[in-house]
Amino acid sequence: MKVTEAKAWLLARAGERGVELEVLATTDRKLSIEAQKGAVNDVSLSSSGGIGLRVVTDGRVGYAYTEELSEAALAWTLDEAIANAELQEDGSVTLPAGGALGRFELVDEGLSAPLQEKKAATIALEGKLAADGRVQSVQYAGYMERESEVEIASTTGVDGAFRTGLASLYSALVMREGDSVKQGYERDAQREFHQLDPGRTAQESLRKLGRHLGAKPLATGRRRAVFEPDVVATLLALFTYAVSGKNLAEGTSRLEGKLGQKVASELITIVDDATLPHGLGSRPFDAEGTPAKRLVIVEEGVLRSFLHNSDTAARTGQANTGHAKRSYRSTLDVGTSNLLLLPGGGVTLDSGVLVTDLMGVHAGANPITGDVSVQAMGMELVGGEQRPVEDFAISFNLFELLERVEQVGADVEPVAGFSGFAYVPSLAVADLSFAGS
Amino acid sequence: MLSTDSYAALLAQSRNAGADFAEVYVERWRRRQLRTIDGRVEEATSGIQLGAGIRLFFGEDVVYGYTNDLSDAALSELVASLASVRGAGDDVGRPDAAGRGGIDLRKLDAGPDVHAPTVPFEAHDKRWRLERLRELDAGARIAPEIKQVEGRLLEWEQDVWIANSEGAYVEDRRVRTRLIGFAIASDGSETQTGHAGPGLSMGLELLEKYDPAAVGRKAAELAMTNLRAKPAPAGTMPVVLGNGFGGVIFHEALGHLLETTGVARNASALSGMVGQQIASPVVTYVDDGTTPNGWGSSRFDDEAAPTERTVLINKGVLESYMVDRWGALKTGYRPTGSGRRQDYTFAPTSRMRNTFVTAGDTPKEKLFEGIEFGLYAKTLGGGQVRPGSGEYNFAVNEGYIIRDGEIAEPVRGAMLLGKGPDSIKKIVAVSDDLSNEPGMCGSLSGSLPVEVGQPHLLVSDIVVGGEA
Repeated sequence: MKVTEAKAWLLARAGERGVELEVLATTDRKLSIEAQKGAVNDVSLSSSGGIGLRVVTDGRVGYAYTEELSEAALAWTLDEAIANAELQEDGSVTLPAGGALGRFELVDEGLSAPLQEKKAATIALEGKLAADGRVQSVQYAGYMERESEVEIASTTGVDGAFRTGLASLYSALVMREGDSVKQGYERDAQREFHQLDPGRTAQESLRKLGRHLGAKPLATGRRRAVFEPDVVATLLALFTYAVSGKNLAEGTSRLEGKLGQKVASELITIVDDATLPHGLGSRPFDAEGTPAKRLVIVEEGVLRSFLHNSDTAARTGQANTGHAKRSYRSTLDVGTSNLLLLPGGGVTLDSGVLVTDLMGVHAGANPITGDVSVQAMGMELVGGEQRPVEDFAISFNLFELLERVEQVGADVEPVAGFSGFAYVPSLAVADLSFAGS
Repeated sequence: MLSTDSYAALLAQSRNAGADFAEVYVERWRRRQLRTIDGRVEEATSGIQLGAGIRLFFGEDVVYGYTNDLSDAALSELVASLASVRGAGDDVGRPDAAGRGGIDLRKLDAGPDVHAPTVPFEAHDKRWRLERLRELDAGARIAPEIKQVEGRLLEWEQDVWIANSEGAYVEDRRVRTRLIGFAIASDGSETQTGHAGPGLSMGLELLEKYDPAAVGRKAAELAMTNLRAKPAPAGTMPVVLGNGFGGVIFHEALGHLLETTGVARNASALSGMVGQQIASPVVTYVDDGTTPNGWGSSRFDDEAAPTERTVLINKGVLESYMVDRWGALKTGYRPTGSGRRQDYTFAPTSRMRNTFVTAGDTPKEKLFEGIEFGLYAKTLGGGQVRPGSGEYNFAVNEGYIIRDGEIAEPVRGAMLLGKGPDSIKKIVAVSDDLSNEPGMCGSLSGSLPVEVGQPHLLVSDIVVGGEA
């Protein structure tokens, strides 16, 4: 069966069995190209997708998904979803009522450049990286594009679709100068292929990694710290754990009961904006079909809202903010779209350590408590000079750190991280624990 | 899944398009996940994953594609697209006459499946599974400070079929089951967590081997230990690493550097060092894909090569890397059955299976003798490494101060960091209590089940990140 037929088949069977059903179908097309030594050496392309089911029966919810669209596989999937729902003793979940949302096109011709141009951009990136004498190895120099068609339909009337996509250039480098060896990654993601520039990505990769060569150990102590936008995006992603309505409902949000209270420095305003024009994370509606809007999460340090889907909103008695997130393989969650930290008056780079990169955040950060202890890379700020430092870790509590922010950068940078898209400036704090030698 | 003729036709088409080597990987998974919080069902989900990945080699260059559509027409179109993105204008390999006559597939037999489950995927109803998670929950209620308990049961049944243009054909079923307990303890001002998560290549008989109540209790005990722990000290000090999941240090700081994926690109700090003394002579390091029911075991790797026990480091001397097909082609090292991938959406790369430091002969207690001040990192969390520089870091989940040769008060929030190639030279003693633990390892070809393991080890100095 094709996706459209499978959707209709499932909705009809659900109707016959007297259960509510929401169907989320995704079809992805991906292309990636990598180059080595002046030629393309690795190409990958795919078209794939699947259908995710969310069943509600007597207020209880169950999930299942399938990538196999045979009638037997669809029947097994619907049976499992219903059995998963029936496993719950009780519940008060209802699928949100909706209507025809329409079909939205967010990509247009953005990825339509000929394959040869994409290969040429990849080769150009690799060439510019390899040309730098300090580069010991270009591990990866690549181009990646993705187009996704998302369709959603339910027995409660939701019906809509949109197509989105992005193009990116990325690199992984090992650089050496004397005995000093450093490895780093860089990625530039844009809505359209023509917004990419191999020269710019190469230059940024070399600048960001090359400045760490010749790093000296940093002595243990407390110092001022300035976080670059990449690091700020990582910290914000960690912070979103605490403003997730799901974690609030499950009792693991440290910000429970803090709505309307001061949770950060008044310099901090955090917004999630799914309507940001050309934003990498923009979408017309969320994974339940709730239309997108701009949401202020923290306003001048005061917590204004958690992120909610219909379920977490109902469970906590708060308003649905349209932040349902779900892939067809996963269960309903909440997630950000374009996460913004609004710019401030600028940061001074005259003292302390410029923290440029964190390593092992998934292991060294506890999102529930906010305790973070991670290895970092950085530059010691001495007068107007930046001197590379290494072999150190920084430790702090994220919530305390946000209260102690003393400066917010004036320029916002886009960061396409593993956990989402952010548009953030630098941040400075007066006093941070550095553990080194 | 496909007919033998379909595999043969796709492989012949690939060879005719100029590929020097072609491989068709087909996969079907069934999965279940059940998650409870405080004994109530929080999430119950099931799924079918199905797809095919086709990989073509043109010399050392690789093109890879995948699709969910397993019709002959769709797969043939995928081969054509892969040949076309490779580009007629590029320097493609010439069609090989030998490829034209069709490919004679022979099924490889690995003998009886030592990892096979004794309890089938369809056994027991969902209610039975829920009851086991409630036992886990009850087992974790050891103190009033335990505020929340999460239980998770994961069941995977993965069938793979792999055919390649050298005529190899394999079928393999990998069944894996994992039980995870996660406890949150709070005394009003502090909140700390603990977890335990046994997993093996077997069916629901895992729950007979690991009593769910005991798993819950273990998670809760760790959360309670961390609750009374003080912030860890910072600085450089001797560290005793615990057995079992303590092995993650070697997984991160050494194992990843021995994968040909990095070695072949000269992007590993340990490239080109076979035969050299790279570690302390007390270290022997093994990657074993054959351990019966091991979480990272399978009969074949994801490139149709039988798995094996590979000695990586013997008494400190580097003997072998972990070598996949591409790595063998690129470096000339012997393939070790190490080509793995998360699923059909990834091309395989060289990856670890069950990797551990072998047991030494020092009793564990002896490791602590003579340490005036140091850290006992009893259990570790995850970590990360940059193979090019060997820089690693990982979190200590359960740590204690060592004072005057004795294990003293618990500490939390410690982070171990350094450079792998330095740290492995600083291992001064290895105890006799080897054990392995399951984990998920993320790298280029996705997230994979692996075991890490070691006996207790003494490292003369490591930088510890904590509160300054």
